[in-house]
Amino acid sequence: MVRESVVNQDMATQAPLKEFIEQHIRYSLGKQDYGLSQREWFQAIALATRDRLVDAMLDTETRYEKVKAKRLYYLSLEFLIGRSLGNNLDNLGIRQMCIDTLKDFDVNLAEVQEAERDAALGNGGLGRLAACFLDSLATLGMPGFGYGINYEYGLFRQEIDNGYQVEKPDNWLSHGTPWQIERPEDAVFIPIYGRVESSVDRHGAYNPMWLDWKVLIGVPHDMPIVGHGGHTVNYLRLYSARSSQDFDMQIFNHGDYIQAVQQKIATETISKVLYPSDSVEAGRELRLTQEYFLVACAIRDIVRRYRKDYHNFDDFSSQVAIQLNDTHPALSVAELMRVLIDENDLEWDKAWEITQATLGYTNHTLMPEALEKWSVPLFETLLPRHLQIIYQINQQFMEVVTKKWPGDLEKESRVSLIEEGRPKQVRMAHLSILGSHSVNGVSELHSNLVKTQLVPEFYELFPERFNNKTNGVTQRRWLLQANPKLGNLLLKTLGSGWITDLNKLRGLEKYAGDSSFQEEFQSIKRINKERLGVTIHDRNHVSVNPDSLFDVHIKRIHEYKRQLLKVMHIIHEYLLFVEDGKAPTVPRTYVFAGKAAPGYWAAKQIIKLINNVGQVINHDARVGDMMKVVFVPDYRVTLAEQIIPAADLSEQISTAGTEASGTSNMKFAMNGGITMGTWDGANIEIFEEVGEGNYFTFGLRAEKVHEMEKTGSYRPRDHYANPDVKRVVDALGSNLFSPREPGLFRWIYDALLEKDTYFHLADLPAYLASQGEVGQEFKRREIWQKKAIMNVARSGKFSSDRTIRQYADEIWDIKPVL
Amino acid sequence: MDLLVEVRQGVAVVVPRTEFLDASSAEEFKRAIASTLEAYKKIVLDVSGIQFVDSAGLGALLSCLRKAASGGGDLKICGLTKPVRSVFEIARLHRVFDIYPNQADAVLAFDAV
Repeated sequence: MVRESVVNQDMATQAPLKEFIEQHIRYSLGKQDYGLSQREWFQAIALATRDRLVDAMLDTETRYEKVKAKRLYYLSLEFLIGRSLGNNLDNLGIRQMCIDTLKDFDVNLAEVQEAERDAALGNGGLGRLAACFLDSLATLGMPGFGYGINYEYGLFRQEIDNGYQVEKPDNWLSHGTPWQIERPEDAVFIPIYGRVESSVDRHGAYNPMWLDWKVLIGVPHDMPIVGHGGHTVNYLRLYSARSSQDFDMQIFNHGDYIQAVQQKIATETISKVLYPSDSVEAGRELRLTQEYFLVACAIRDIVRRYRKDYHNFDDFSSQVAIQLNDTHPALSVAELMRVLIDENDLEWDKAWEITQATLGYTNHTLMPEALEKWSVPLFETLLPRHLQIIYQINQQFMEVVTKKWPGDLEKESRVSLIEEGRPKQVRMAHLSILGSHSVNGVSELHSNLVKTQLVPEFYELFPERFNNKTNGVTQRRWLLQANPKLGNLLLKTLGSGWITDLNKLRGLEKYAGDSSFQEEFQSIKRINKERLGVTIHDRNHVSVNPDSLFDVHIKRIHEYKRQLLKVMHIIHEYLLFVEDGKAPTVPRTYVFAGKAAPGYWAAKQIIKLINNVGQVINHDARVGDMMKVVFVPDYRVTLAEQIIPAADLSEQISTAGTEASGTSNMKFAMNGGITMGTWDGANIEIFEEVGEGNYFTFGLRAEKVHEMEKTGSYRPRDHYANPDVKRVVDALGSNLFSPREPGLFRWIYDALLEKDTYFHLADLPAYLASQGEVGQEFKRREIWQKKAIMNVARSGKFSSDRTIRQYADEIWDIKPVL
Repeated sequence: MDLLVEVRQGVAVVVPRTEFLDASSAEEFKRAIASTLEAYKKIVLDVSGIQFVDSAGLGALLSCLRKAASGGGDLKICGLTKPVRSVFEIARLHRVFDIYPNQADAVLAFDAV
């Protein structure tokens, strides 16, 4: 179907796309228009598309400059962009034009799109959120720009060997990318290392001098970010690290050529590789250097742009908003202070006022091990002047704390920026909170837990700073592009308004019980399941039944996300079937995907367990088509775009109080996947929106979990008395799923009975009961379809357009410039 | 390193003939300017030809300033290009040096004192 309603007439009337493509084939690739590989076609089409983006980007900049628009800079160590061609064609409104043009060359756009490598510059939700935000900012016509690192190697490619995860490098830039525009003229000079020498200035005032530093050069690469309709094109500015000159001259002059080259390589390592989550311990110095590199490049660039129009800093915070995506860019607090007081001679108090008024901080986690801390000795080596500034911030803060709670040393030590111990550590979350005027969580529950559990003292001191911004996702990518058939049905039924106002999906409610609409809806789901079935067959060599219930758990592999609980449900069903002769109510295909951090042993074992359980069940003739278990390797944006539209059931089963928000839960709901969720993160808000009857929930609430943790009252062995629990746990302790590696999963049995940190056993009976309901309801197809349609209809709140409007109105104070 | 030294109204005006004052040239610069620092109490260092200074270069300039001061003299600096100025600011040396836009202003400043 031609999406007439989403064709951009401005773009459609420009010079024919064909001419642009031909020009790039000839002059950019140096080829004729025959015998090209799919990758070459991709490059030519992408470059032709980029030309249009650049035109619109320059127009957008002119518009912003004309009204001196306040700008938002979104600093994030991760931007999980995925592929861009489809997104850019759709947002420019030229997809159909492109398809038609390519027919002249006998080329198929869908096949060409497969040649594009994912830009996997992120681990999961946090990075993908940043990418969704950029899409919404541009669609809303707001001056918002991403700042990140141009990692040469994105998140590792995952292969599965004998059930185990194997990590392979993801050199996504090996053939370059047509989307980036290198800007060497905007390269920035970044000092690092050195020492601070205390001295006095010409007037006798204290003057700490930062001397003997080394230099990094940050070279920006801009990726145009087009909003829906093509009117606004912002950019994502990604920095690559270069050494200050081609060689360190001193070493070179001393004749040590090899050492000089090694030093150059060491410098450029900074932007070489994205750290997988949970792996920072392995190379802490490099990670802190990366964080500083991004912050220093961004702040220098932001200040430089501001200073083009303003001679002093009086207007800085009314022209600039900077959002810190988690604590990774928390050094912005110290760096902006340093730039203001050292380089621009502002008084401390004035600089502090500007810094706080400019910065906002988004917290993404309550997990203590994920809260960043950096050792003071490391800080002192890398960033001696910044450490000094942090000490001074802390000293002033401690005066406030002492005044509020006189004599309460325990409180002082709890809130201090510096954690005592050997070595002392700098607490980045505390630095972010102190240096920002806004601190937000990413779902209602999480934002409340930030206030009550994570940093209650800060909330008591600065209640006005704390707020909530529930995450969202862009429907342009996660519905319109990922699920084009459903997108077309929605366009046909509701028009195109929902593409930029997702609340318009409410109009679907009246069709939820309509049998002919249900039929169309169901047939689209089936086609999506068939499409995923082909991928599963290619990757896993397992045939799956598209009429089975697709029960999906896809996300980073982490104990708190409880892939293990899902496996326990599968084992329960399997044993019920083969030992008790009770067949599942409906056939199910259990789909897993996700990456484990390379150094996270337990998570990697869970992957092995899933694969082994799949191996046993998929080859058990007694089970046949009633149960299939697949772990689809190399989870990434492109794979998620295939899996999510095919899901019937969306597993969101983290231990209550551990998942800050989740965003895949929103993508599933938008695509008619019904949530099986704990009372955690944004699951709760999805429940509130879609309604009780259109959602499955189970398990302990966060308060109960917290109380049991605090009192130590959780005794997993009590739950082991439950025969269903016992059978599953015993199976894990046996060699049923590891016949060739006896004892392989015994540790899981021990961990569950001894500690069960994530409350699997406590939640398992309720989970099994709720899954029983799922089976019953899936059999009643009309009821199930109605629920699925209601999920789509009521997913409006979870558009990142809504989230961005809230950030813009309540934190950033930026406006659309149309 | 080539230095152009011109004495004007009792002030030695020194112009380094290099575009880079960095790890490769800092020591040489210090050696080249040493005799002028010893011979004159009033010195103007014109760095308008210098496009790049790194921390080693800054260290050399700072040592000149200290040497002049320790001998009871003074050193003023002029003609900072934009990149050099920003490096001074990173290290907060712009608060330590007496900085002028050009040679004439710097020389005049000695008279004013």
